[in-house]
Amino acid sequence: MYLLCKWMTKMRSNRLKIVFMLCLAFVTTGGQHFESKVAQLLQDETEHIKCFVEGKDLTCFWEEEEERNHIHDQYTFTYSYEKKNKMACAVSSLYLLASNKTILFCKLPKTPFFTTLDVQVLRDGRMLYTRSLNAENVLFLDPPRNLTVMSSGKEGQLNVSWLPPLLKYMDDSMIYEVRYAVDGSNMGKVEVIKVSTRLVLLGLQSNTRYKVWVRVKPDGVAYKGYWSAWTEPVFGVTPPSDVDPLIVLLVIFIGLILCLLSLTVILSHHKFLLKKLWPDIPTPEHKFPGLFTVYKGDFKEWMSHNNGSMWGRSVPVYTEELPSPLEVLSEVSLTSHGTSQREERKPVEEDEEKESERSDSGLTDRWRDPPHAHWLMEQLRALQENPESRSQSSLLQSHDTYVTLNQGDNEQQVDDVFEETLPLQTLFTTAGTSSLGTSHSDLGSLQQSSGSGRLSSQSSFEYPNHTWPPKGPGYAYMAVADSGVSMDYSPMSSSRIAELGKHRMYTNDYKNEIFPHKWPLSGQYIKSG
Amino acid sequence: MQTFTGLVSVLLVFLWLGGNLVSPLRPICDLRVLDHFVREARDSEVIMRGCRGGCGAMKSYFVPLTSVDFAVLEHMDVNGQAVEVQTGLSLLDQALSNAMKTVSNSPLANALDNNISNIHSLGQILHSLDLQQARSTVLPDDSAPASTQTQEVSSLPELLQVQSSFLRGKVRLLLSAAPACQRQNS
Repeated sequence: MYLLCKWMTKMRSNRLKIVFMLCLAFVTTGGQHFESKVAQLLQDETEHIKCFVEGKDLTCFWEEEEERNHIHDQYTFTYSYEKKNKMACAVSSLYLLASNKTILFCKLPKTPFFTTLDVQVLRDGRMLYTRSLNAENVLFLDPPRNLTVMSSGKEGQLNVSWLPPLLKYMDDSMIYEVRYAVDGSNMGKVEVIKVSTRLVLLGLQSNTRYKVWVRVKPDGVAYKGYWSAWTEPVFGVTPPSDVDPLIVLLVIFIGLILCLLSLTVILSHHKFLLKKLWPDIPTPEHKFPGLFTVYKGDFKEWMSHNNGSMWGRSVPVYTEELPSPLEVLSEVSLTSHGTSQREERKPVEEDEEKESERSDSGLTDRWRDPPHAHWLMEQLRALQENPESRSQSSLLQSHDTYVTLNQGDNEQQVDDVFEETLPLQTLFTTAGTSSLGTSHSDLGSLQQSSGSGRLSSQSSFEYPNHTWPPKGPGYAYMAVADSGVSMDYSPMSSSRIAELGKHRMYTNDYKNEIFPHKWPLSGQYIKSG
Repeated sequence: MQTFTGLVSVLLVFLWLGGNLVSPLRPICDLRVLDHFVREARDSEVIMRGCRGGCGAMKSYFVPLTSVDFAVLEHMDVNGQAVEVQTGLSLLDQALSNAMKTVSNSPLANALDNNISNIHSLGQILHSLDLQQARSTVLPDDSAPASTQTQEVSSLPELLQVQSSFLRGKVRLLLSAAPACQRQNS
C-alpha cells in the first residue's frame, strides 16, 4: 500500500492528487505504527538489517549512512529460503522526523514463515549486510485495542479489559503486560498475564484515579517477537471505601446496649464485686462489743465493764426486767421465837435469764450496813441449828441475801436505822389484810398496819421437790422489781407463787444492782439494768 | 489347501474388523501438548550447540519443507495439510532415528530419543483428530524420495532446526485448524 501511494505521488492529475491525499491519510494512520516500530527497532536492534513482521509481511530496513551524499545509491535487497533462488525486493526510503534519520526498507511480498530466510543488502552490486532469520521470530505486534478500565464495585479494585491485535493464528500465543500508576505519580506497577484479555487489579487505594497501559508480545513458544508499544493511557477511579452507615449505627447501638448491661450488672452486684475486689479487713469488733466504739480501744476499761460476758455468748437481755426473787426476812421481836425468823433464803435461779445475784446481794449489802446485820447473822445460825426450822429450810446456803423487815413495835427503833426499809414496812401487812390485787409503785400508799400484825415472810427454800407450798392465805407476798430508778412492788397471789416456785423464783422479788460483783455466785448471772 | 484358505479368510475377516471397529479417540485439541514438544525440540538444538564430541557424523537427511505461506494456507484444505504433516512427520522420524545411530554423546542421544517419541505422540494426536489420512510409509534409508515436499540437509543441527520449524509451523497450524477442535470451540 505504501509503495502504491509513493507511485501515486508521481501522478500529476488532480484526481490522482486527491487519491494521493487520501492515500497519505491512510498511510499516516498505518504509518504511525510503522514509523514508531521503525524508530523503536532503530534503538533496540543491534543487527545492521533490522527486520520485523507487521501483520503477515516481513519488513527489513537499514539505516542510511549520513556521510553519504543524498544521491540515491543503488541499493539492492535480496532474500532466499529453503535453498531456492534469490529473490529481489524493492527498496524505499523514509525520513524519520523524530530522530532526523533516513532509513531504507524493503517489504517482502510473500513472507515464508517457519523457515530460515537469508537476506542481503547490496550497495552498488557489493554486499553490504547479510542476515539469516526466521520470520516467525521477529513479530512486532500492534498494541492491544479497546482498552477499558472500570470499577468493579469492590474496594480497591479495578476491572481492566482489552482486545488483542488483529492477527490470525496467533490469538492463543500472546502474552500481555499491564502497567498501572496513580494519576500524577511516576511509580507504576506491572502485571503480566497470558492469553487472557482481562485483568482485575487488586490492592489499590480507595477513591483514587489510576492510569492504565497495556502492551502485547508473542509468548515465545510458536512465535517470538518484540514488545508492542504501550496503548494510550486509560483512566479509572477506584470506589471510595465503603463504610456502610447502617453498619456503623448498628455497631454503636450494640456497643451502647453492652455498656448499659455491664453497668447494670456492676451496680446490682457492686457490693459483691467490691467485696471481691476490695475485701474488708477482718476485725474482731463483733466479738468485743463496744470496745472500739465506746471505750476507744481501751481494752482494760472494756474488760472492767464486761467481765462476765467477755468469753461467753451474748445472751439477749430482756428489756423488761424479770423480777428477781428476793427473800425478805421479817424481823420479829428480839425475844420472839426464832422460828418466826427466817433468815436466809437461797436465791432461786432460773435456768435461763435471771436477775443477777449480785443485785440481790447488793441490796443485802446495803441492808447489812446497819449494826443489826451482825445480830441477824447470829439469829440465822441459831435457826440453822434448829432442826424444826431445818425441815422447812432444808438447804441453807452460806451466801444469802435477805432483807430485814421491821414490825410496828420496833419501828421506831429501827426506823432511824432502817430508813430504807420504810417503804417495805408499809407494804407488808398482817395476815388479815390483803392487798393482793394492788400493785403500787409508791409504797407509801399502803396503809401501814397497826403494828399488831406480824410480819412474817415466807422463806423460800429449796425444797427437794422444788415446789413451793403456799403458806396460806395469811401471807402476802410482794414481788419487787427494781428498775434502778423506782421500785415496783406488785403483790403476788399464792397461785402465782406456786407458778413462780416452779420456776424457782423468789416470793419476793427485789433487785439491786449496786455492788453486783462482790457477791460470789453459784452460777452465772447476767447483769441487767 | 482348504484349511489354508480358511485360515487366510479368517485372518482377513479379523483384519477388516480391526480396521473398522477401532474405537474413536477423544480429540486432543489442547495446543499446549504441541508446545511441550516444540520446547523439547528447541532443547535438542541447544544441546546440539553445546555438544563437544560424539555429536553425529556429517550425513545428508531428507526432511520436509517447513515454509508456510499464510496466503496460500488460507486456500488450502485441511486434508491436504494433514497429508503434508503426516508425510513430514514420518520423514523426520526416519531422519532422527538415522542420526541417533551416529551420536555417542549421551545427553544429545537422550534428547533425540525424546524427540522421536514426541513425533510418535503427534501421530496419535493426529489420529485422534481424525486427520491421519496417509499411512506412514517406511522408506529405505538410502533411497531418495521423489516428493517435492522434501529438502535435503547435510548436518544434524540443520535437521534439528528443520524439526523445530516444522512443529511450530505446519503441525501447529494444522492442529489449530482441525475441524474436530473447531467443532468443540464453536
